[in-house]
Amino acid sequence: MHIPLVIALLMLAGCAAQTAAITAGGSQVELRQIQTRQYDTLDKRGTLRSVVATLQDLGFVIDKADYELATISATKLQDYEIRMTVTIREREGDRLAVRANARFNEKPIEDPKSYQDFFTALDKAMFLTLHKVD
Amino acid sequence: MPDDAFHLTESALEMREIQTREFEDVTNIEILSASSAVLQDLGYAIDEIEKELGVLSASKRADASNPAEMAGKIALDMFDCLATLFLGCENESYQSSKDVQDIKLTLVVLPDLSNDRTHSVRLTMQRVVWARSGELLDQESINDAEVYQAFFDKLSKSVFLEKEGI
Repeated sequence: MHIPLVIALLMLAGCAAQTAAITAGGSQVELRQIQTRQYDTLDKRGTLRSVVATLQDLGFVIDKADYELATISATKLQDYEIRMTVTIREREGDRLAVRANARFNEKPIEDPKSYQDFFTALDKAMFLTLHKVD
Repeated sequence: MPDDAFHLTESALEMREIQTREFEDVTNIEILSASSAVLQDLGYAIDEIEKELGVLSASKRADASNPAEMAGKIALDMFDCLATLFLGCENESYQSSKDVQDIKLTLVVLPDLSNDRTHSVRLTMQRVVWARSGELLDQESINDAEVYQAFFDKLSKSVFLEKEGI
């Protein structure tokens, strides 16, 4: 086989791999569904506070919090590292959509169970924040 | 990935109590200012404050001694720093240590739903320990009750000073 051709092909493959690392991701629609939960409230502040409290309960330290952009980023360090970003958006019908996405060490977390666990914890915090319970 | 990474455990609720302290008759801003002052006393840099949500993040790089016995180290570190606040942590064991730790913390101020002069403050901390060679030795959440106790005692005094305008 032509040696320069082989080299050229290898280089091309290298470029493709690099591009893939930057833009790769699974099925967008499915992933968004797994990562999103809607709440019947318009209380953005209360919802963000619930997100912060939940992350703290789960052992995260908050890296960034922005009320205007309704975005929270946090890191959990154990023997592993989890980085998580949570964003909140208004949706039709007076609802807020909370979307969480996380990576475990270098890998994005895509299994539904992790997000289910997160939202189960958030549900509890939302209940406590939005309804006075005493 | 561990199954319980996003699972609320019993111990998580215990940690919440250890990490939380309630302050009466203070404003959001008074608590945040008093907290910044304590963190500055302890040599932390404030990375970010989000007033609207009452979130403050801070970090510092400090010496970490023997990595083999790291578990309780941070407590000692904090305690000695607190005890020797005005000496600036000049303890022998820290001067001679070989490793470096990056400590990061978040402090969240939450107004009480029924009384806007009552606030709860929750602190969470974590750290990464490096060898001088740059090798990652350990990363963990800091869960020692003593550390949080020491911090909140300091914060109570700072809140008092803040309100007296000292």
